[in-house]
Amino acid sequence: MKVFPDDLLYSREHVWVRVEGDLATVGITDLAQERLGEVHSIELPEIDSEVERDEPFGAIEAAKGTVELISPLTGNVINVNEDLIDDIGIVNSDPHDTGWMVVVEINDLDELDDLLDSRGYHDFILQEVEGE
Amino acid sequence: MAIDEAIFREVQRSGGPPTVRLYGWLSPAVTIGHFQHIDREIDLDACRKGGVTVVRRPTGGKAVYHDDDLTYAVIAADNTSLFSPTILETYRVISQCLVRGLHKLGVEAILAAEGREPGKESVMESGMGTVKGSEDASCFSVPSLHELLVKGRKICGSAQMRSRGVFLQQGSLLMSFDPEKTYDVTLPHREPRARQVQALREKVTSLYDHLPRFVTREDVCKSLIEAFQTGWQVSLAEGSLTPEEETLKEHLLKTKYCDLVKEGNT
Repeated sequence: MKVFPDDLLYSREHVWVRVEGDLATVGITDLAQERLGEVHSIELPEIDSEVERDEPFGAIEAAKGTVELISPLTGNVINVNEDLIDDIGIVNSDPHDTGWMVVVEINDLDELDDLLDSRGYHDFILQEVEGE
Repeated sequence: MAIDEAIFREVQRSGGPPTVRLYGWLSPAVTIGHFQHIDREIDLDACRKGGVTVVRRPTGGKAVYHDDDLTYAVIAADNTSLFSPTILETYRVISQCLVRGLHKLGVEAILAAEGREPGKESVMESGMGTVKGSEDASCFSVPSLHELLVKGRKICGSAQMRSRGVFLQQGSLLMSFDPEKTYDVTLPHREPRARQVQALREKVTSLYDHLPRFVTREDVCKSLIEAFQTGWQVSLAEGSLTPEEETLKEHLLKTKYCDLVKEGNT
């Protein structure tokens, strides 16, 4: 049984968001990393670039597959996790914390209303599985 | 590549039923994976001299030399009764159909029970003994989990991309295999050449090595389509690109899928 921390928000594209003021730290959920399998490499945006809600902000290559990372928010990238360059394995081993990917300065805080809390994300996953 | 991605993007945008495409190449080509470094993994001079087009795939994985192969693409939403959001499970579902299609042609293909482990030498037990792989650029240098083997040798390489609940899986089923050309266009060039070519020959096989009777490319396509229909219990209808897909294909051809051998495109 996966545990999704209560202090995070979640997108339906399996991306989590930790909000502090108008800054959002973004990563992929434990479920997303499990579905991917072992992650090999990652493409992330450059600092000072813009990301747009529901548009790709990067890509991950895992065993035999490439997955686009879909941004949950619109804003300006102010930090990128450079630790992932040295140890991409933390995306798999610690996805909700040290495996974070980017920090975004949020343009419109109202976009947060479309994200799910941990309970809502849990219910969404159950619906997704039932739909298979 | 542009057609595959155009269909993929349109399924993302407006949904639609699963699509299976089977196609070939007008001239020899190398496709490289989304994350591959072209300068480190492809011998561009050899491609240029040999008239080999180089195109980056939207999917991951390693380099594939396309000459006498049948390329397939499957595009579908990933949360249906047929397909799963898990990469390897989707591989399994598609590979089982390919196996069924090859069986109908009299080729005893099986799914690889173990796969390569990136960054390390991979080892696979097979009927032909132990096959060791390495970080070669060629997709066919070692099989991955759920890929197709015939008598312990890889016959089909596949790769996938996913985004917004839709997947695209592309693969190359070898009608015949040219280990010399594969060695020449992919890097690194480990020496001696003859030994490396022989190693590829021992790891890779093709349909023409195993077909009990002569079949045409159309026969292979027909067998695979029947296998997809039986395996998924669906009826596949021939179709053409929608106007939206056609427009997107043209755009992608100009902006993304140009020949990387031509100067300035890398």
